[in-house]
Amino acid sequence: MKEIDTRGLACPAPVLLVKETLDREQPDTLLVRVDNEAARENVSRFLASRGFTPQSDGAGADIVITTAAGRNVEQSHEESGSAEPRERANNRKIMVLIGSETIGAGDNELGAKLMTAFIKTLKEMGGELWRLVFINGGVKLVATGSPVLADLLAYQQRGLMILACGTCLNHYGLMAEKQCGQTTNMLDIVTAMQLADKVITFG
Amino acid sequence: MLISSATADDAGVYQVSPDLALVQTVDFFTPVVDDPYDFGRIAAANALSDVYAMGGTPKMAMNIVAYPMAKLGALVLRSILAGGADKLREAGAVLLGGHSIEDDELKFGMAVTGFVHPAKIWANQGLKPGDQLILTKSLGTGIINTAIKGGLAKPETVKSLTEQMAELNKNAAEVLRDFPISACTDVTGFGLIGHLCEMIADTGRRVTLDSGAVPILPEAREFAAMGLVPAGAHNNRKFRENMVSLASGFDPVVRDILYDPQTSGGLLFGCAEQIAPALRRRLADCGVLAAVIGQVESEGAVGLFVR
Repeated sequence: MKEIDTRGLACPAPVLLVKETLDREQPDTLLVRVDNEAARENVSRFLASRGFTPQSDGAGADIVITTAAGRNVEQSHEESGSAEPRERANNRKIMVLIGSETIGAGDNELGAKLMTAFIKTLKEMGGELWRLVFINGGVKLVATGSPVLADLLAYQQRGLMILACGTCLNHYGLMAEKQCGQTTNMLDIVTAMQLADKVITFG
Repeated sequence: MLISSATADDAGVYQVSPDLALVQTVDFFTPVVDDPYDFGRIAAANALSDVYAMGGTPKMAMNIVAYPMAKLGALVLRSILAGGADKLREAGAVLLGGHSIEDDELKFGMAVTGFVHPAKIWANQGLKPGDQLILTKSLGTGIINTAIKGGLAKPETVKSLTEQMAELNKNAAEVLRDFPISACTDVTGFGLIGHLCEMIADTGRRVTLDSGAVPILPEAREFAAMGLVPAGAHNNRKFRENMVSLASGFDPVVRDILYDPQTSGGLLFGCAEQIAPALRRRLADCGVLAAVIGQVESEGAVGLFVR
């Protein structure tokens, strides 16, 4: 956890110090020490505006602000002065949930081709694509032998969070074969659905 | 001596003869924008403002300069002084001289002397029940200055902020002279609420401030929501909190804007409801903002109520 000590500084210096640290290091969690109520309020407000969930403890000259759950809005800030397009600039979060290795019913060979095409084309969503979650037969797509493994690894490289259901990987005996993404559970999936602005279920 | 610092008025007033009094004021500060010429204009407009807020006409001024010559060189100083001189010219006042010292941190401002008729001084206090409260510039300069320091303000935001701060309260004051206003001040370091509290402190008046009608500079709200609030706003709040009642659930972001210390802020005055429309029309004709932001109540508990 990144720690920032702003004690002895008058507003807005604590906020500006936290901002500099965020711009430079992009830490997932933070601990900020402040020594007055105004700084507590300003730093908490600033962290909230950057997608953190700040909590503070203590009083007077010994207040500690921590960010509990990490940030849920990644790098959406426009005014960082950078010329390159920001990830998810308009801030919408799309979660795609894939429940099978094929798309639709009728012919499984066609369904597998459609799924391959779907995964390859997903990049057109750009920065709005926020989470790619695989459940049931879908987990085969993150395991050895998957026709889209290279694509998924490339997405992951670019910062997309890929999740695969642990229960499902176990069920198919694929835990050791998983080649990309993080193992997840139903609570994670439900929480992600709640945080997402849009959930697309496919397969 | 007609008015001194005892009543927290904007300037001191000293009577010279039955029909002439001197208005004296001084103000200087560190740069609020990067451009030296603009800083000079803003510092001068800010120093002149106290004379206008008393109902006076600025007549002469002296520069006050603290300057790191080795670090910044003569050209920057010349630009600052040129900005100040241009504003004095616009105000119709003359520069008599000044004083400079070598200092690590740049500061610029002016001591200004104006004339006023002793019977036509606008004091801070004097609001009457039924009066409307009118403000002539938008709030948020302290918050945006904070954002500029953090490198967050867009160039167009800096531009609109600069133009507002460099605008003299001259046109506004000249219009007000034709109307029987009850009290006047300019909104500066104590923020809107702080100056409103000065106007009603110990007077037994009840004032309602309608926060939705208060003009706010572009982006000030966004920056306040990011926590870019100067320490002065929090100090202003601590100082006046006991006189102020906020509506329940009042947005703390707007609250901070109402307490935000202003540089070269607008005039804040009261006038009877009947004359307010004509007065506002005249101000609008002169290109001056005139927002009705509240009123003086005729009954109810004493203090400032913000909704």
